Amino acid sequence: MLTKEQFLKPLAQLRGQAVVVTSMGVTRPWGKDSSSELDFASADSAMGHTADLALGIALAQPQRKVICLNGDGSMLMTLGTLATVIGARATNLVLFVVQNETYEITGNQPIPGAGQIDFPGLARGAGFRRVYYFEDADVFEKQLPEVLSGEGPVFVAVRVEPGTEGPIARSESEQSRYLRVSIAESAHGLRTVLMS
Amino acid sequence: MLHAKLVLEELKACGVTHVVSLADNASAALAALLVNDNLVRFVSVTREGEAFALASGLWIGGKNAAVVVQNTGFLESGDALRGTAQRMRIPLVCLITYRGYSKMRRQTVSAAPKPWDFDRFSRPDLDSAALVTEPTLKAWSVPFDFLESDADLPKISEAFSRAQKESWPVALLVTEDMS
Repeated sequence: MLTKEQFLKPLAQLRGQAVVVTSMGVTRPWGKDSSSELDFASADSAMGHTADLALGIALAQPQRKVICLNGDGSMLMTLGTLATVIGARATNLVLFVVQNETYEITGNQPIPGAGQIDFPGLARGAGFRRVYYFEDADVFEKQLPEVLSGEGPVFVAVRVEPGTEGPIARSESEQSRYLRVSIAESAHGLRTVLMS
Repeated sequence: MLHAKLVLEELKACGVTHVVSLADNASAALAALLVNDNLVRFVSVTREGEAFALASGLWIGGKNAAVVVQNTGFLESGDALRGTAQRMRIPLVCLITYRGYSKMRRQTVSAAPKPWDFDRFSRPDLDSAALVTEPTLKAWSVPFDFLESDADLPKISEAFSRAQKESWPVALLVTEDMS
């Protein structure tokens, strides 16, 4: 199983000019590793709707890679989005599911079916052709360049240790740059960057 | 009569690049046109809440989406609408087909029911989806107007202007099946 750091650090190094959309337990840790204007925290938003939001950005920006860091609990809330991604032919979307088997933000209660859900199998069943599963940090780091290259959509389940992140707030006192502004400001700012 | 072809022309005139939708009978004619349209991309979703998040993402990415859903699906979409398009202050026009509207009109029942009139919700001559549509739009602070026939088509551009001016979602209630 990976630590969040083992998951996020290599990703931050290799993301290039990709838009990165974060959610739930990786929101703050990602903001510590990255201060890119292409980051978007789906915090203080609609629970479970990070992957579909990221899909929209991907469809609008077909020449740019869009990386979504979704939670496993969040993914379960909108599993249909897996089918929507395939139907929409979002070839530039890389959808990570951070598989910690818990609702970390609310105190690590187990997700329904914890330990029994085959997330890569769900993705394959929805029609994803490129599906990866990682539970070893070294293997993840070695294969990440391949994961992020080529045509998608790509689905990546990564076993990550549950952490202790509490509810995500947006305020000036947050360490992460992208949590110091409102989600509206963040959305309008990213649009401006992507249209420039 | 409300012609899907004319609705699509209006959407194009408003700069719509994508229509995000879940199929329903009233908008089926529009969906049929969109599937083969070269200018506006049709994105089909599995549940209506997805549509609001996806359309919001499209806007963030620099595009201009419209959402087309039935009122039943709109009701399902509450938190997705609140947490994305509204929370992010995104100018978004949503065409909501109004299931149960004609039954409600025939029964001359107001769209603003008396509080605690529970029997209305189980009457077979009424569709409870219609009963709660307008009160819900008001409760969720979504401005709305009616698209009842081709004569109302200018309301589409008015809705886009208002959405743009307020940076906020605006709804058009489609009361007739498009043809």
